[in-house]
Amino acid sequence: MPGGKSEILQGTLDLMVLKTLEAMGPLHGYGIARRIEQISEEALQINQGTIYASLVRLIQKRWISGAWGTSDNNRKAKFYSITKAGRKQLHTEAQNWERISGVIGRVLRIAERE
Amino acid sequence: MFAWIRALASRTQAWLSPHHADQDFENELETHLEMLTEENVRRGMTPEEARRTARIRLGGHTQLKETNRELHGLPILETFLQDMRYGFRMLRKNPGFTAVAILTLALGIGANTAIFSVVYAVLLKPLPYTNPEQLFTAFQANTQQGIAETGCSYPNFEEWRAQNHVFSELAGILGHQLTLTGRGEPSVVNTSVVTPELFALLDVKPLAGRIFFPQDGKQGAAPVALVSEDLWRGRFGADPKITGTSINLDKRPFTVIGIIPAAFRTPFFSTKREVWIPLVQDPLFSTFMPQRGSHFLAAIGRLKPGVSVAQAQAEMDAISGRLAGEFPAENKGWTIRLVPLQKEIVGDVRTELLVLLGAVGLVLLLACANIANLLLTRATSRSKEIAVRTALGARRARITRQLLSETAVLGLLGGATGIALAYWGVKALSSLLPSSLPQMNPIRVDYFVLGFALLLSAIAGVAFGLVPAMFAAHADIQNTLREGARSGESRNRRRAHSFLAVAEISLAMVLLVTAGLLLRSFANLTSVSPGFDVQHVMKADISLPRFQYSTPQQWTAFSDELLARIQTEPGLQDSAVVVPRPIADGQVNLGFYIVGNPPLSTGTSRTANYVAASPDYFRVMGIPLLAGRLFNQDDISTAPRVSVISKTMARLYFPNQDPLGKQLKFGFPPDGGAVREIVGIVGDVRDVSLGQDPGPMMYVPFAQAPFWGANVVVRSTLSPSSVAAAIRLEVRKMDKDLPVTDVANLQDLIEASVAQPRFRTILLGLFAAMALVLAATGIFGVISYSVSQQTREIGIRMALGAQSGEVLRQVLKEGARMVAVGLALGLMGSLAATRFIATLLFGVKPADPLTFAAVAAMLTIVALVASYIPARRATRVDPMVALRYE
Repeated sequence: MPGGKSEILQGTLDLMVLKTLEAMGPLHGYGIARRIEQISEEALQINQGTIYASLVRLIQKRWISGAWGTSDNNRKAKFYSITKAGRKQLHTEAQNWERISGVIGRVLRIAERE
Repeated sequence: MFAWIRALASRTQAWLSPHHADQDFENELETHLEMLTEENVRRGMTPEEARRTARIRLGGHTQLKETNRELHGLPILETFLQDMRYGFRMLRKNPGFTAVAILTLALGIGANTAIFSVVYAVLLKPLPYTNPEQLFTAFQANTQQGIAETGCSYPNFEEWRAQNHVFSELAGILGHQLTLTGRGEPSVVNTSVVTPELFALLDVKPLAGRIFFPQDGKQGAAPVALVSEDLWRGRFGADPKITGTSINLDKRPFTVIGIIPAAFRTPFFSTKREVWIPLVQDPLFSTFMPQRGSHFLAAIGRLKPGVSVAQAQAEMDAISGRLAGEFPAENKGWTIRLVPLQKEIVGDVRTELLVLLGAVGLVLLLACANIANLLLTRATSRSKEIAVRTALGARRARITRQLLSETAVLGLLGGATGIALAYWGVKALSSLLPSSLPQMNPIRVDYFVLGFALLLSAIAGVAFGLVPAMFAAHADIQNTLREGARSGESRNRRRAHSFLAVAEISLAMVLLVTAGLLLRSFANLTSVSPGFDVQHVMKADISLPRFQYSTPQQWTAFSDELLARIQTEPGLQDSAVVVPRPIADGQVNLGFYIVGNPPLSTGTSRTANYVAASPDYFRVMGIPLLAGRLFNQDDISTAPRVSVISKTMARLYFPNQDPLGKQLKFGFPPDGGAVREIVGIVGDVRDVSLGQDPGPMMYVPFAQAPFWGANVVVRSTLSPSSVAAAIRLEVRKMDKDLPVTDVANLQDLIEASVAQPRFRTILLGLFAAMALVLAATGIFGVISYSVSQQTREIGIRMALGAQSGEVLRQVLKEGARMVAVGLALGLMGSLAATRFIATLLFGVKPADPLTFAAVAAMLTIVALVASYIPARRATRVDPMVALRYE
């Protein structure tokens, strides 16, 4: 069963996928993976396959939708796009994230000073 | 939350079409790979290298697919179904084990469900009225006279209604039988006599017509009646125009105003009522209405919403206090007791049903212990399989879950079979149910009972599955595997076996002791002499319509002529009339005064049961004359009043004196002050029930205290049907409209009177027998298993020269040890349990040593026989075979 791994890690990846789709519009799995790698300036070298677990989870929650289409080089590929519910979720999640990272950042800075 | 539900929906959808989702994902991954490869090629790799690197970047293909499948499917359900399938397969592979386990469980569940359906309908299910929790009965009680509860008089009832502020409505009810004539054969109908508020109070909607209105209860109102749906469909052929027509009750016309649905149950009456009439119209009870001292009416009230029982009781206490002050002659010492209607209706059946439920629960516990034992035995032979699976990485929780799924399958199969048995059991039970059992709700396997059965089988499945699962989960893999072909038998496991067997013996002992005590009680009860002969004595009822035969002279004339006619019939010479008959009828308890004794202080009185009998009654019934004389033909209404008293009455009220020649003052109004001389003393009779000691009784000649009916008793060697035919013939010659009813053997009546004790005795006996068989097979199983485990040891010992007697003793010793511990525990359990049935016992103490000893002996013998069979097998072990055995 999945779930043993850190929830936060999964959640982070889901959040990044959502953000990517919001920013870029419909993309296939390969595109999403590449985009995340580029944005993180290749710092995040993920197993590209893990993207798919994230996509399945997001689809099940109806935060993104997927449809088969044709890629630039005429390949059949599944394109994902963010839904309305997904945007809403992204908004709340992003706020949460900023709040938490803000708090953690402050705590760390305080700790440094002492 | 919604996201989670959506996810589940999507998972379920995917789970239902797994192939499609798989293929889809496969295509997607392929595209991804191609894109990655292309990129790598652009970076200058050879196509082969590009593809390889792409694969690495993407991650393990199979792993990805697995993850995808897990995300899509319903893993818990999937493994559960898989376990169930596996469980089914394992069960099919061991048909013998499966059949025994399922049958054992089915018997346990079936018996429990059947008994529970009775308990549910009688004790738990609310009464079939609107807001039944608001319904209460109001009794009168008089602690000074030792009267715990009795009805109220009509004048008091009216005061209660007028003065209280706690009940939204109060109604009075009682019942008897009236003769229905016109439209077909004359028949006797069960009639409820009510105050008109009853139907509004119980919120009854008539099938047609209307219910009673308050004006129907007023003096001088036109006589009206309600008929039951059954009577309407049966006797009146579902005549749609019945309302407004007239029927004759006791020869008086009543207008039918409505039909009461068949589902309606009249409170307090276990037999269905067919006709309801207002109290003011009743030929008998309306005459009691003006009497403030006649406690004949049962009152039912509906509490106003928001009024507590305590408030209501306080208000009624105040009212009874006021009445005692206002009417001291009739009300001094009398209080009002409020009892919830359901509690009152259920009455003392409660203890009995709870005892039965407890007993049948123990049977199920025994069944579970037995199956747990079987499973444990099987688990031992499977321990290697489980050890291998554990070694291959199966988690403990996973193995426990699998074993529990298997037993859950067993539990459900057993439960399903049990429910089928229960349907049949309820039918069988219905024919056994004593008529005294209040059946306000129909007894059947409904959804609630079904739910109970399913819950029970699920709990049972887990209960007996937990033991082997626990052992399997904590098995020591290394040892099990190292032991090679030898199946791993741990000390703990053996202890668990013995523990279960001991538990079975002690449970069986509790049940057997309980059944034994009830059996002895029943034997005592049925061997009690009622004080009269029951062989060849028959009874028949002829009820005289009170509107037609309205004077005592007419009653006497009728019974005289009837007796004279019956006695001319061949074989019916020994006939008498009597009201009321012992056991068959209710009792008439009357107060009396001894002429010449100082008056009793107010609020106390002496009462005795009253019987009016024709001269031959004592001879027909075989009641012995102890002193003085019996009644004779000269004791007619114009002759001096006489009375015969019972032995107990003479002993209680005339100690050390000769009662003959003394005078008593008692009788029914208008004869209440009649002075009667005691002319004889007769033997005691158990007139209430076999289980109740005879109380004081006083007899008067029928001619000096006639009744409106003739309850005939006949001593005859003819068959009941020919007696009935002869009596009918004579009655018809006198009046063709008179029904002859309830022709029965006194023997049968006596048997019917112990229907309730018989019911519980039969059922508990049955449960105890099941317990005995279960315990015996349990011990047999444990000892057999133990012997099979020790085959090698026994073989070695025999090879070394041990005698077979020694081996036999050793094995039997193991059985005896379990029996000893089981009996000790069972003894304690029984002592605790039998206290609950103390009120059900007759002539035997809860801690009856004879019963305890007999049960202990029986269990010991059965257990030793059950151990002897496998022990014998042990002595036949061939040392050579045994040594090669493993």
